[in-house]
Amino acid sequence: MSEKEYYIPNGTYWPIIGSVGISTLLVGFANQMHGASWGASVMALGFAITVFMLFGWLGQVVSESVNGQYNQQVDRSFRWGMSWFIFSEVMFFAAFFGALFYARALSVPWLGGADNNLFTPELWNGFSATWQQIAFTTPGTTLQSGTAISIPTKLVDATGLPALNTILLLLSGVTLTFSHHALRSSKRNQVIGWLIATIALGSAFLGFQVAEYGHAYADGLKLTSGIYGSTFYMLTGFHGFHVTLGAIMLTVILFRVQKGHFTADNHFAFEGVAWYWHFVDVVWLGLFVFVYWV
Amino acid sequence: MTTVTASHDEHHHGPEKGLMRWVKTTNHKDIGTLYLWFAFVMLLIGGALAMGIRMELLQPGLQLMEPQFFNQLTTMHGLIMVFGAIMPAFVGLGNWLIPMMVGAPDMALPRMNNWSFWILPFAGGILLSTFFMEGGAPAFGWTFYAPLSTTFAPDSTDFFIFAVHLLGFSSIMGAINIIATVLNMRAPDMKLMDMPLFVWTWLITSFLLIGAMPVLAGAVTMMLTDRNFGTAFFDATGGGDPVMFQHIFWFFGHPEVYIMILPAFGVVSHIIPTFARKPLFGYSSMVYATASIAFLSYIVWAHHMFLTGMPVAGELYFMYATMLIAVPTGVKVFNWVSTMWRGSMTFETPMLWAISFVFLFTIGGFSGLMLGIAPADIQYHDTYFVVAHFHYVLVTGALWAIIAATFYWLPKWTGKMYNEGLAKVHFWWAVISVNVLFFPQHFLGLAGMPRRIPDYALQFADFNFISSIGGFAFGASFILFTYIIVDCIRNGKPATARPWEGAKGLEWTLAAKAEYHSFNTPPSKELIKSESQHS
Amino acid sequence: MSSVIIIVIIVGILLALGSGLLGLLRGGSAGSDKMFRSLVIRVALSLFLFGVLMLSGYMGWIEPNVVVMDATIAK
Repeated sequence: MSEKEYYIPNGTYWPIIGSVGISTLLVGFANQMHGASWGASVMALGFAITVFMLFGWLGQVVSESVNGQYNQQVDRSFRWGMSWFIFSEVMFFAAFFGALFYARALSVPWLGGADNNLFTPELWNGFSATWQQIAFTTPGTTLQSGTAISIPTKLVDATGLPALNTILLLLSGVTLTFSHHALRSSKRNQVIGWLIATIALGSAFLGFQVAEYGHAYADGLKLTSGIYGSTFYMLTGFHGFHVTLGAIMLTVILFRVQKGHFTADNHFAFEGVAWYWHFVDVVWLGLFVFVYWV
Repeated sequence: MTTVTASHDEHHHGPEKGLMRWVKTTNHKDIGTLYLWFAFVMLLIGGALAMGIRMELLQPGLQLMEPQFFNQLTTMHGLIMVFGAIMPAFVGLGNWLIPMMVGAPDMALPRMNNWSFWILPFAGGILLSTFFMEGGAPAFGWTFYAPLSTTFAPDSTDFFIFAVHLLGFSSIMGAINIIATVLNMRAPDMKLMDMPLFVWTWLITSFLLIGAMPVLAGAVTMMLTDRNFGTAFFDATGGGDPVMFQHIFWFFGHPEVYIMILPAFGVVSHIIPTFARKPLFGYSSMVYATASIAFLSYIVWAHHMFLTGMPVAGELYFMYATMLIAVPTGVKVFNWVSTMWRGSMTFETPMLWAISFVFLFTIGGFSGLMLGIAPADIQYHDTYFVVAHFHYVLVTGALWAIIAATFYWLPKWTGKMYNEGLAKVHFWWAVISVNVLFFPQHFLGLAGMPRRIPDYALQFADFNFISSIGGFAFGASFILFTYIIVDCIRNGKPATARPWEGAKGLEWTLAAKAEYHSFNTPPSKELIKSESQHS
Repeated sequence: MSSVIIIVIIVGILLALGSGLLGLLRGGSAGSDKMFRSLVIRVALSLFLFGVLMLSGYMGWIEPNVVVMDATIAK
């Protein structure tokens, strides 16, 4: 399409299908949490509709792009859209990192009696404000919700699996950079090889992360282990979710590379997904430093 | 340049036939209309809840409802008005106006634009459905502080949480779209400093939305896991902290306040120059003031929390930072007044709303300054003074600007004129009743009446009675408003392309009723210059 | 000291990542080059950070987060 024309896409049903899918998913989830027997099946239905919508919508965009219906201006709009979408993800993670820093630097020390908060021993007899092992000498203390607090018997070991996982994810950043370089020099076979390596490293990361959860769970570190367990699982969990998304997107990109959708000068989808992967990688580094180490 | 649609040529000339037009549409004018009607319906629902609140407060004692139901009314009134009425109304205005104002044929990402809207009815439906659930709707106030919203909340809270997720998703997509439109679809010859102020304020608001809404999503996600999966983010027994909820919430909540008022500033900056027949005074200072307010809004959040336990250094910092916001806001008020100075003023309906905005919003701004003084806030906190303050900025601020914009651009949307006489009656009716409604609440608060209570001590009876009477009158004014709008759409006299002789802006160069696809070819440099706000 | 170095490297990584985003935003061959260069820097810095972390941990300059924050116990 010529640069002299504005492009306005025709209407589709995908948005309304997406709304139905996501709403069904969430209503099913809420009912599932409240013990409705049908909750899970409604959730699954909503999930299926959402996935159908994603594939249908993005598939249509890809085919319109391949047919040459888009011009430079549309390309730039996609760039703006993708960039600010990722920024909103950054802010979402920032909320959880903020909770981690606040608890670590302020609220847990305050609960332990730091500064002038002298009342804590009166409120909770035998409360010990240790970072990973929030503990009570009085047995049977529960959260306000009535859930028993699970006190971990061992601390998370930063030098074992987490360090290995860090290496894996960092290497995936390296292989992705090689793939990116190969794409810019129009060497399709190398692009494909390095992309496959990246996806493999990402999948290995996810596998080890599941193993790591298994160990932590066996040692008693659960979502119900107080603020450390909460931030640990929520941060690493959301990160794992984003790695999964990134790996799926890389796989889609892999197929598109095989079909020859990209050229050395024009490969926005590749760049967008690559940047997303680097972003997920950096989030992990932040997690590794702040959740496991410092 | 010409506009090309994806596959079918018939889209060139007009909308699709039938109801599916509204479901599938990628047209910014259709989507803007959908947003505005959705916001209007939510405004009426939220207003009905407010009528319930004022009826209960008409006299001391429990008159009509259980306290629990009263709390549901205040909570849902706040949530519906903020997320269902004010925000969608401004997105609707943005959708309608921004492409026309920057000389673009449509929004940058039209299909996503459609999705941003079509999430809203589902989210609104889920939110409203909580009224009919066991245990009733959320009853913890629109700020949903933990542990009221976690440990002590009804089951319906989880539905509320998901509704907030969806609304946030919609707002983020809307904001991304506006950024991409302004920065990428703007007419090639329009420089950033040629853009009308409504475009500027919405651009800056979009950055606030993208920065703040994901944090809200994080906050409600933590609520969700605290409620259902045993995490302890907001539970001190597990090392968390309920005050942390307030920090995260207000990190979203304070930018949110400016999300609702910055586009209003933009609207007023269009209307006042038009009816003063003078260029806007201090255009560039308006832009810089808007940007400063947006920046400051991110670093003042804990002034909502002076009484929740903060180190004194924190209180001082947040107090001084809050005071700073008065400077750029003062610049804006000064500029509006200076624009009117020695202007050839006439007082058509949009101008009446805009001038009363300047007066009444300034009252709300000053009471905000009073609340921002940490030692004084100990007296005002959680009283009706706070209620009076934020209704002056949100009703006579944000909502006033929305109504002003509606009258100002209605001719461009419909090609018809509204009934000027009736509209003036409506204005005076609304502006008097709204002050009867909210002004006495300042005195109630200063005398110590707490907010969010269904019953009160006898000494508050008279002012509450006055306030309620004002409330009913103000509520009734929307019947007239509805009539004026519908009457304009159905029987209005044809309008000219530029119904306000002093109006500047690219949108007034279009046909009386803007074409379905406008600016298929970008406007010329000369046109942009002659229609810009500083000439 | 090593925690200061770690923070500085993290800030560097974030800057490189952000500059990559700006390159992505700009598009075209200039943007593409900028993005690629920034991402190479970010990968190199990340590997360096990992090395610093492991070395500091091994040498005992920093210790994994096992901190008792309890003022009452400290007394």
